[in-house]
Amino acid sequence: MAVRREKAERLADEELMPLVGRKDPEAFEVLYDRHGGAAYSLAYRIVGDRAAAEEVTQEAFISVWRSGARFDSTRGSVRSWLLSVVRNRAIDFLRSRAGKAPKLDFDDDAVLEQRQASELTEDEALRRETAAEVRGALAELPGEQSKVIELAYFGGFSHSEIARILGLPMGTVKGRMRLGLEKIRGQLAEGLA
Amino acid sequence: MNDSDHKRWSEDLAAYVLGALEADEAAALERHMDGCERCREEMRWLQPAVQTLPESVARQEPPKQLRQSLMAEVRADARAEGRSPSTSRWRSLWAARGMRVATGFAVVALVAAAVVGYEVGDGGSGESSGSTVVSRQPGGITVKMVSEGDGGKLHLSGVDPLPSDKVLEAWVEREGKVEAVPALFVPDRNGQAETTIADMTGVKTVMVTKEPSGGSETPTGEPIVTMSVPQ
Repeated sequence: MAVRREKAERLADEELMPLVGRKDPEAFEVLYDRHGGAAYSLAYRIVGDRAAAEEVTQEAFISVWRSGARFDSTRGSVRSWLLSVVRNRAIDFLRSRAGKAPKLDFDDDAVLEQRQASELTEDEALRRETAAEVRGALAELPGEQSKVIELAYFGGFSHSEIARILGLPMGTVKGRMRLGLEKIRGQLAEGLA
Repeated sequence: MNDSDHKRWSEDLAAYVLGALEADEAAALERHMDGCERCREEMRWLQPAVQTLPESVARQEPPKQLRQSLMAEVRADARAEGRSPSTSRWRSLWAARGMRVATGFAVVALVAAAVVGYEVGDGGSGESSGSTVVSRQPGGITVKMVSEGDGGKLHLSGVDPLPSDKVLEAWVEREGKVEAVPALFVPDRNGQAETTIADMTGVKTVMVTKEPSGGSETPTGEPIVTMSVPQ
């Protein structure tokens, strides 16, 4: 039996997942309302087209619904897992459209910024803080490091493909990925300290 | 292992967590990490950086019709489930897609592999003790199935580490059809992995495959485990 919407809204993501596994539409709806915006934004960032982003997001959420509560908490948060499902779908979509180049900018800031503070939940506020930290960390990376990370994560390219695209030795590409991620990680750690 | 060996593998870790290694390179690194705590530690350190990348993108407002069409599909699914509670949703999904399992290529391959697995187990490497069945699989994986009421607990040991975009998915074969077990799982650092199969009624074979994060509706690869269940 479906839980009532109000009850579902009080549950943490990890508590919603077993309900989603039992085919509770209200629990699933709450999950979408919490993360659908981030999912659509990520899909749009990768595929660069609104109609395609909508298709990718819908497919990703339907796969989550139909695969039930197949979430493993040892792999991170529900949100991270959901977004990884979206990312994989979006990359598959890009690959199916051979020749489509990914968008490569981090500068397109934020419809979110236009929202009123009162609309934001505490979780959302924390996410905004994290997002701001990550954007800050990325902005501070040398362009050569952020570019290889973008091509890999948002473009779905392998390190050897990136080496060909940029005309660099593969070792250089891997080294830049490493340096870039270490800097982001270091800044995240500082933010938590 | 000396420092230069470690450094050589360590250079691949960032590309690995970004999903940017080729499949064979990722598999080689995973084999190395199986015995290298330093690399596992470095991977765990880097992973949060990748997990926060989606948070860095500019927020876009999803179209309202996305929520409407998504929830319409979800509610239709839920109603269909309610109408046929005794029918596996996986079976109905496959039926809806015209993928009658007994004739589907991937499933035929799975069932064929299950027979091979049984023969391997029957060759002296398997044992059964009442409600517990143990099977030693090719590739060094040991499987133990412990009955619990109508269901059972599937425990794997000796499983290689998985890349971050892969999970293990269990499948059961009964009445000539293969169904997904609705719970994904991953091995821990010691190569141990466990999942629960809620309903073992009529199950003849249990299989496990590596699938993309989020799981698959149909198996996409060869099983790493195939175990026949004594009737």
